[in-house]
Amino acid sequence: MMQPSRWSGHQPRRRAAQLVLGLLVALGALLCSQVASAQDSEIKIRVQVKDQQRDAQGSADNQPVAGVTVNVLDEAGTQIATAVTDDKGVAVIPVPEKGNYTVQIDEETLPDDKVLSTAAEQKVTTEQFVTPTRTVNFFTGTSQSASQGQLERISQRIADGVRLGLIIAMCSVGLSLIFGTTGLTNFAHGEMVTFGAMIAYVLNKSGLHIMLATPIAVVAGGLLGYVLDRWGFGQLRKRNVGLISQMVITIGLAIILKNLFQFFFGGRDKPFFDYTNQVGKKIGPVTITPRDLIVTILSGIVLVAVALTLQYTRLGKATRAVSDNVDLASATGIDSSRVIRMIWIAGGALAALGGVFRGLDEQVSWDMGTALLFLMFAGITLGGLGNAYGALVGGFVVGVLVETSTLFGVPTELKTAPALLILILILLVRPQGILGQAQRVG
Amino acid sequence: MDVTYVIENTFAQLVGRNACYYAIAAIGLNVQFGYTGLLNFGQAAFMAAGAYGLGMTVSVLGVSLWWGIILGVAYSIVLGLLMGIPTLRLRADYLAIVTIAAAEIVRLVVRSVKFRDTFGGTDGLKDFARPFQNIGADIGLEPAKTYGFWAFKFSGKDLWVLIVGWSLVVIFGVFVWLLMRSPWGRVLKAIREDEDAVRSLGKNVYSYKMQALIMGGVIGTFGGMILALGTANVQPDNFSRDLTFFILTGLVLGGVAKVTGSIVGPMLFWAIYAFIESVLRELVRDGPLRWGGRTIIQSTQVGQVVFMFMGAMLIALMAFRPQGLFGNRRELAFDGR
Amino acid sequence: MDAESLAPSLSETARIARQALSDVAPEPGVHKPDPILKAVGVRRNFGGITAVDVDRVEVQRGSITALIGPNGAGKTTFFNLVTGFDKPDAGNWSFDGESMEGVASHKMAARGMVRTFQLTKSLTRLAVIENMKLGATGQRGEKWWNGLLPGTWRSQEAEIEQRADELLARFKLHHMRDEYAGSLSGGQRKLLEMARALMTNPTLVMLDEPMAGVNPALKQSLNEHVRGLRDDGMTVLFVEHDMDMVHDISDWVIVMAEGRVIAEGTPDDIATNTDVIDAYLGAHQGLSLLEDEL
Repeated sequence: MMQPSRWSGHQPRRRAAQLVLGLLVALGALLCSQVASAQDSEIKIRVQVKDQQRDAQGSADNQPVAGVTVNVLDEAGTQIATAVTDDKGVAVIPVPEKGNYTVQIDEETLPDDKVLSTAAEQKVTTEQFVTPTRTVNFFTGTSQSASQGQLERISQRIADGVRLGLIIAMCSVGLSLIFGTTGLTNFAHGEMVTFGAMIAYVLNKSGLHIMLATPIAVVAGGLLGYVLDRWGFGQLRKRNVGLISQMVITIGLAIILKNLFQFFFGGRDKPFFDYTNQVGKKIGPVTITPRDLIVTILSGIVLVAVALTLQYTRLGKATRAVSDNVDLASATGIDSSRVIRMIWIAGGALAALGGVFRGLDEQVSWDMGTALLFLMFAGITLGGLGNAYGALVGGFVVGVLVETSTLFGVPTELKTAPALLILILILLVRPQGILGQAQRVG
Repeated sequence: MDVTYVIENTFAQLVGRNACYYAIAAIGLNVQFGYTGLLNFGQAAFMAAGAYGLGMTVSVLGVSLWWGIILGVAYSIVLGLLMGIPTLRLRADYLAIVTIAAAEIVRLVVRSVKFRDTFGGTDGLKDFARPFQNIGADIGLEPAKTYGFWAFKFSGKDLWVLIVGWSLVVIFGVFVWLLMRSPWGRVLKAIREDEDAVRSLGKNVYSYKMQALIMGGVIGTFGGMILALGTANVQPDNFSRDLTFFILTGLVLGGVAKVTGSIVGPMLFWAIYAFIESVLRELVRDGPLRWGGRTIIQSTQVGQVVFMFMGAMLIALMAFRPQGLFGNRRELAFDGR
Repeated sequence: MDAESLAPSLSETARIARQALSDVAPEPGVHKPDPILKAVGVRRNFGGITAVDVDRVEVQRGSITALIGPNGAGKTTFFNLVTGFDKPDAGNWSFDGESMEGVASHKMAARGMVRTFQLTKSLTRLAVIENMKLGATGQRGEKWWNGLLPGTWRSQEAEIEQRADELLARFKLHHMRDEYAGSLSGGQRKLLEMARALMTNPTLVMLDEPMAGVNPALKQSLNEHVRGLRDDGMTVLFVEHDMDMVHDISDWVIVMAEGRVIAEGTPDDIATNTDVIDAYLGAHQGLSLLEDEL
């Protein structure tokens, strides 16, 4: 549900104050979150029903199944309690004592397209109550009757690929332009993506709706880019530090940021708090949740805006000129350092936005950006290193390729492998990429 | 705080298994990056080739361990060719991108469910180190007995690995040192400076770069083998995304383009790592580190804090002392690239 | 105006070269009696701009030939094409009678053609003597398996070092022998690059703007060295903007403009050639090139 925008028309100062307040609240929430939860001495059985999925890296990405009826029977077989799983897929059932019980799933209450992939019944014994609460897990998977036809499967993969491709494209524009203008390959760019998701998560967790958290995260991303150029790489460029040294510094930066994120966020994947548990709607041959649909559309809009900016605005033209040939651009009066500064800011903002969208798509994790980095590199190499349009095209192609590769027998856990093959192929055949200029040899 | 624990741990790691296999890998990385200027960010993939090559022989193929060495080296050469052929004629950044991609794919493949029969999936491969350990026992090092003094106490099993490992360090160190003083080494150093100049003098730059890439990779492979033999277990998580970067940190710390640097650097890396980690662990031993009622660090977060420090150290080195400990400041003063 | 009477006494090789060229008509693309380098129909485009479009260029063996032209004429591009550092879109050329089509740049030196670069490429982190030793071809020690066994290359290295020292002495760089090349001055680096090129025992030496950035005091000495190359039996082809040098030492001049060869001849022919003057100066007609340095 869209909230009316409260930001338009107010003074920047108030907005900044709210931003700072939001950040302080987030920080406070983080620090306070270390408090251990109070112990409960009642005996309970905690039933979790999860739908098994695999994410882009092939690791478990289980979604909760809500609305399932769970029955608990005692040793004699008499039903003593019943409950329904909440929107986190959990039902907590109090039992009189630590003893032997049978936990049953009422299969008729499962969603239409899901079947249990474990048994419908599990037994719980007295010894298993090590703590007062005993957890029992049930897993579901997509049922045969609901399995998609050929066309539907292909369309689904393409839709997923489009979504991933748009996100990769968005994240990698900055990466490509930073390379084009300064010659620096920024190995910390993945962390700039994660950064956006982290900021949004922290704000979201402290109560701010994701729609409001996102613009703040984008601004934060832009700010990060500004800081990195102003006090980091801009200074190194001034001191004439070699490109390889700068590259190694981006690696050090990536290590610091990665571990910083893990430090605060923890090792597990976590979803945002809004728009979870949506039901997929069928649009033509494709089943897609409203959230994913909107992410796709918004990504497309943002990328079109980026392309238009590059094509028609002064800044866009200056950017393309500097990216093509720094000295020539400077000779025509363009302030190259200002353009480079803007690229870092815009690149950081776009990466942050991509991170939020990715987090909505696939949950937030401390290393989500690192996993994307290699795909971003494949994309910008395919499109042409240093070419902004190349990043858009290349990133998009890589995304579609990765998702559709499963149609050709590539196992889900290895679906990023074709991106490496594409990388090697393009370097063998046309190293300058699709849109790049052929480099003069020697 | 148990100061003795901290100090002992630090010294133990200075010469321990981790420093050892890092040093071997760093010697290899030095040939590629330090001397030739090749941006190999996938040394972890070469190490995995060695480790899995070794592990596969017994568990999967059922042949003698010695074949594992040959298999590992063979994997490594193929990997080097695969990464080098598309990229060595292009600018340096392309090799960086491809090596990172390759390391990622190697990691995904060896931990995949699909290839679990070959590579052992997330559990990895075990049961291959026995023949190696037997040799150690045969020469008189009882596996369970503790040898050594003060901080340097190692079990017989570990001591055998260390003896073999550090011998390899010396062998490869001398090997690289000799090579770099030869005309071959001169060509590599010149390539790092300016490929075109070297081409104009009639040298096949592409061929030399490939030789350096593969040689460094094969040396790194032996590092992976020592890792495998040391833990008697080959797991995908040993070859994390950041492994190459930490080896690079060790190398930079010691001094690029210097053999002593590539050996002492990783040793110091692990000593520093152990020191910081031990200190932090001591601080959080009885409870999370608090300050004014707020928890700053919990025991589960110690690893991340140490890594953050190592990352900061890498940045500081590159910005303020790129020649590391043993490197030549004058040499690096001419770095304009 | 007799070039011979103005220049210092010419060596025997120079006399032969000038003799051979005296019968050659000053026409663009003219044949030479004994060409060491022949380029035919060479074309190179860069995204719509024709950088080089040369019908025919021949370089006389044993001569010092200058390649001149205004900025953007395509001289360095042509240079890169002929030395294998760039691939032409069309055309072929031959060196010493052998076709060089598709031959990689590093193979050129093996065949006797060496080039220098406009932006000097001294290998700054190597010592001067190491720079020199690098130049020698056919080194056994450059194979890595030999590299491990000093016995296989020590003696050859000693020979090479001796040759290097001799060349360094000739170029007056011997006192800097053990210094890092990075500590040499700009002019010294030019000399080093030239000396290093000679280590390959070339038959054709191609210099890309050897006078660029060199202080006037050093120019005379560089001129002498270039003359010395010819006197030793090598052919020299150089790209230059410095008209004094061109006039002083060249036996033959080739002029390029907008990618084409517009004139050829002796330095005197060229100095008064109106096409050439037009190409350089545009509206300023009737001025000899010598009076207007670019």
